[in-house]
Amino acid sequence: MATTTLNPAAPAYRSTLYEWLTTTDHKKIGIMYLINSMIFFVAGGALALVVRIQLVTPKNADVVGGLVTPDFYNQAFTMHASFMLFLFVIPILAGFGNYAVPLQIGAPDMAFPRINALSFWLLPLGGLLMASGFFVSGGSAAAGWTEYPPLSSQLGTGTDLWIMGLTLIGTSSILGAINFLVTIFKMRAPGLTLFRMPILTWTVLVTSVLVLMATPVLTSALIMLFIDRNYGGHFFDPNNGGNAVLYQNVFWFYSHPAVYIMVLPAMGIISEVLPVFSRKPLFGYKAFVFATVGIGALGFSVWAHHMFTTGAVFLPFFSLMTFLIAVPTGVKMFNWIATMWRGQLSVSTPLLFAVGFLSMFLIGGLNGAFAAAVPVDFALHDTYWVVAHIHYVLFGGSVFAVFAGIYYWFPKMTGRMLGEGLGKLQFILMFIGFNLTFFPMHQLGLAGMPRRIADYASTAGWTELNVLATIGGFVIALSTLPFFWNVLVSLRNGRIAGDDPWEANTLEWATSSPPPPYNFDHLPEIRSERPVFDARHGRTAAH
Amino acid sequence: MSMPPRSRTGSGPLLAGLIIAAVVLVGIVALAAAGATPASVWNSFFPMHGTGGVTDRSTSVQNLYDIVFYIAVVIFLLVEGLIVWSVFRYRRKPTDTDLPPQTHGNNLIEVIWTIVPTAIVIFLFVASWQTLNTVDAAAPAQVNVRAVAAQFQWSFDYLDEQGGTVFTQQLPSGEAGGLVLPVGEPVHIELRSADVIHAFYVPKFLFKRDVVPGKDNTFDFTVEEPGTYGGQCAELCGSGHAAMVFDVHAVSRAEYDTWLTDQVAQANATPAPAPSGEAAGPTIELEALNVAFNTGTLEAPKDAPFTIHFKNDDNGVPHNVEIKDGGGAEAFKGDIVTGVTETSYAVPPLPAGSYTFLCTVHPNMTGTLTVQ
Repeated sequence: MATTTLNPAAPAYRSTLYEWLTTTDHKKIGIMYLINSMIFFVAGGALALVVRIQLVTPKNADVVGGLVTPDFYNQAFTMHASFMLFLFVIPILAGFGNYAVPLQIGAPDMAFPRINALSFWLLPLGGLLMASGFFVSGGSAAAGWTEYPPLSSQLGTGTDLWIMGLTLIGTSSILGAINFLVTIFKMRAPGLTLFRMPILTWTVLVTSVLVLMATPVLTSALIMLFIDRNYGGHFFDPNNGGNAVLYQNVFWFYSHPAVYIMVLPAMGIISEVLPVFSRKPLFGYKAFVFATVGIGALGFSVWAHHMFTTGAVFLPFFSLMTFLIAVPTGVKMFNWIATMWRGQLSVSTPLLFAVGFLSMFLIGGLNGAFAAAVPVDFALHDTYWVVAHIHYVLFGGSVFAVFAGIYYWFPKMTGRMLGEGLGKLQFILMFIGFNLTFFPMHQLGLAGMPRRIADYASTAGWTELNVLATIGGFVIALSTLPFFWNVLVSLRNGRIAGDDPWEANTLEWATSSPPPPYNFDHLPEIRSERPVFDARHGRTAAH
Repeated sequence: MSMPPRSRTGSGPLLAGLIIAAVVLVGIVALAAAGATPASVWNSFFPMHGTGGVTDRSTSVQNLYDIVFYIAVVIFLLVEGLIVWSVFRYRRKPTDTDLPPQTHGNNLIEVIWTIVPTAIVIFLFVASWQTLNTVDAAAPAQVNVRAVAAQFQWSFDYLDEQGGTVFTQQLPSGEAGGLVLPVGEPVHIELRSADVIHAFYVPKFLFKRDVVPGKDNTFDFTVEEPGTYGGQCAELCGSGHAAMVFDVHAVSRAEYDTWLTDQVAQANATPAPAPSGEAAGPTIELEALNVAFNTGTLEAPKDAPFTIHFKNDDNGVPHNVEIKDGGGAEAFKGDIVTGVTETSYAVPPLPAGSYTFLCTVHPNMTGTLTVQ
């Protein structure tokens, strides 16, 4: 018999599983985002290993008895990228936003808790739909994560599943973005003005604007592709008056801003970690906010730099804008270093990953400048140089930030610390494995190795570098073992964290670990962007 | 709640130093073991590992690369140096109980590190724009070729002044195939796709351009050094993408003229009567599907004729069977047939030994033929 109760915690018969599956608590949803993303991280990583094993020697089929067919190889790298981008990096950063933003602004939950649950549950659904392509005839999507027609129009049902899955994931992003925007604009605690917001919240705000403006455009591209494939449309079919390059324009109009969707919140995490572990405020807070907004705005004017070799875009404009977007990124880099400068650094795992982010993202920025120089891009486009570039940005950048964030907020989420020894071991292995895998790809690209090829000639001179990259790939895989072990062990036996183990600055550290439902029993006075710091040091005046 | 300082001036930096030293040492040993020299490592940071390009435009691309590279290296050393210095220099000591100076920022320095990078990138933009004008410049060309890309092979139409095809090179690579061009004079290439998007990429030209269906891209260049340069499709085009290779043979004008005249004459001549096709000797089955042979090994009797019954199951894709001896010399070459079809090749007697069989159109499709 249904009963109404004013105490939501009352029904004791609800199992923990039921509680999690039906929750609208942003903290639980945030954690589910992280777990779901980690599952796809492992799946995407396994597919990356398939790619690396395939390329370890030329004529691999002769050596290892044909590990994979070229068809499956194309599926493997397509789904590797699709999992990593759409089901790992984007959602895990949304997960951090989900967990941290309401806490950081002193709100009890997101503005629309049920929509929040919906945007989470669309993700595993979309992911499974996408992955189910492996089980239909013809296999999964295989035209690369970019799915350029006319090739993607030729391939099997897996592509339709990919389109449907990605449309659901896009819908999840859009719902999440609206939720973040309303939450940030309407639910900040008294005193928490826009320029007192933590930088992570700022980056989630800008990211949400990008999602809201860009994702519907991707959805339109996907729907047009779906119509072309299934209902006799000719949007992208040049034989019937369509335009193949149109898809690329529409796709990259989303997918370049998507790179910032995948990087800005990561920068936000770094901007939370560095001040705390340097015992200093973030250097140039406002410059940082303006740089974030600047990257978001410029991010909409650089999409065609993925299309320099199509012969269909106005090169100087997109070249100039691409060079210019390096400026706000550079400003951030200098501000981060200035934050550490003359600080008192505690070299804990979150800081190590943050410093790893700085070093690797620096390379990812610099090797991007080569591709902004159009004639150099003519030489390097679609070679392994570009593969090196995206991984220095999204793995050396975003993924290192993700682990910095996990080590930083795990105590808040669970009440227990992750082990430092295993954390450092993971960092060392991952840092070495990452560079071993992706640095030689610069040289491979310079030597003319195109991306997305399943095989190459033994005379091409690419073998040694591919061997290095494959060894590195396995070191990265190895580096995840101490991480997962660390999580399992620390959940049971980790050191008790207390409210504020890092002597941090922002409001999430003013409540218990883990926080109670609805987050706060009381809030400290908010007079700056570091209310918890102010409370700890007895400062009430803005400074 | 407060905690004691988390790092001490203990084993931390020492351990970090040891790990870095060990990694560097292992790296150097591995590189040395692989036969790398300091010069070869340095060269690997440059296009084509320091050997550079072979067209008139590739020099300017190389110069631009060098400018970007040296600027990037200086910025990297500077910024990475600052990061590493900060981490090692400003570690928290047990005596650090008071907070460090709480610096919130400095407007002047923000302006400086906004303006200086802006100046650098604007300089890079201008430099790359100028180079772009060189690379994209049109040149009146005597030699006009239309490169046609299809899943999964290239062919090259040699065009006359009216744009009519005088000869089509069906074989994309090998000594008898490939794009033959004269050195030292401008060449105009037109790109056409028969199906999906491909990309014309010759690494030694330091250049690529997409082959977009419904849009004929063109570009001009002059090859300056004679030689054979490998090229391949650089835009994913399906399961046979890696097999879409081609060769560029840059030869003297005289050789080029002779070659073209011969090819045109051959093409116009009545095709030689096809081999009688009568099965002679034992029959070996071979099949091509998805731009791959169904087997990597074949066996045949020595010193006796035999027949290869060849099924090409790739719709619209040309394949054949060519046999090369251990030294790479051609022992047999079957006619190219476009799938789906089947044919029989009558192969002359071969001495015992190990041979390579391959598809002339897709040299990645290979296997070993053992004659014993």
